[in-house]
Amino acid sequence: MEHPQTPRILAPHLNSFQHKLVRMVGKVVQLRGDTAVIDAGGNVNVVLNRDTHLAVNRFVEIIGKVEGNLHVKVQAATDFGTDIGIDINAITAVVEATHRHKEIFYDMD
Amino acid sequence: MNYGFDTSYTSYGAGGAGGGGFIPGEGSQQSPSGRKEFAQETLRPVTIKQLHDAQQIHEQEITIDGSPISQLTFVGQIRNISNLTTNITYKLDDGTGSIEVKLWVNPENADGPNSSRAKLEEGAYCRVWGKLKIFNGKKHVSSHILRPVEDYNEISYHFLEATYVHLYLTRGPPGGAAASGGAALNGGYGQQAGGGDYGGTDLGSFSAVAKKVFKHLRETPQTNEGLHQQDIAAQLGIDVADVARAGDDLLAGGLIYTTVDDQTWAVLEAD
Repeated sequence: MEHPQTPRILAPHLNSFQHKLVRMVGKVVQLRGDTAVIDAGGNVNVVLNRDTHLAVNRFVEIIGKVEGNLHVKVQAATDFGTDIGIDINAITAVVEATHRHKEIFYDMD
Repeated sequence: MNYGFDTSYTSYGAGGAGGGGFIPGEGSQQSPSGRKEFAQETLRPVTIKQLHDAQQIHEQEITIDGSPISQLTFVGQIRNISNLTTNITYKLDDGTGSIEVKLWVNPENADGPNSSRAKLEEGAYCRVWGKLKIFNGKKHVSSHILRPVEDYNEISYHFLEATYVHLYLTRGPPGGAAASGGAALNGGYGQQAGGGDYGGTDLGSFSAVAKKVFKHLRETPQTNEGLHQQDIAAQLGIDVADVARAGDDLLAGGLIYTTVDDQTWAVLEAD
């Protein structure tokens, strides 16, 4: 099975990545049944699948598809722990490097 | 042979210390005729996309960013595990692409007290050290060491380090003159002399519109996303198509780069 590229983005990039598969690290701020809000450089609404189990205040890396309404439909989620262990500035720097030097990160279509 | 999982884990932040231990072992496996100088042995942090973009110069030489590779290191998420008789094949995905990693298992140590192997399960992030191999046009990584990532900052660290090395090899050391495209620039970015200049950049070969667009991009306050071509067109009162053409020329000249999409540009500063 092929695994397509999942560029790392944050909330401000959602508009440019509509209908694309992306990877995003954020802190879970709200859980509402089958949707949640994560803070990834701004609040992002995510639509959960049955296998996703998020917990408020924990960091999570989601892989998902950006919908037309800028919600992200989650395909997979990885728990990244609490904010004691995560350097947000480093995550932001990686996203910036991803788009500034995209030649080593993703292909444009 | 014991590669010392624990010591290499605790010292990964200390630069080359983690990688140094196993390079001599790798060297001893090479045939005398194919022996390379140890001076040419390197440990390059890379993205999986860079592995797929790597060029095979001849059978023994593969380059990334125009520079020969030997040992590589990268991080990725395990997507699939196949236990084979001589190796365990892991399919790794780092968001930039995916590749198979063959972890060669020493039969004598196969059942040794290696607790980290158990943490290498599907979905887990891990770090790999190994070499890129090409068989019948298909690439894989041959590895003797693979360990789970337990501090998620290591993922950020890896991608920033890979970016740094990529820029070092393609543009030269930070602060120095650009390695490529230097002819078009005179290195005077930092010296802003008087109004109406282009920050010391020689725009002699560019159109009048391109000069205006570049000046506007230089002088307009903006975020690091730069400016969209439609905003530039509106503010300069120039047709969008002309701005797009000017942008293409400036992109081709390496003076600006695209940010969030193909139509949003920022000045490529040699900072």
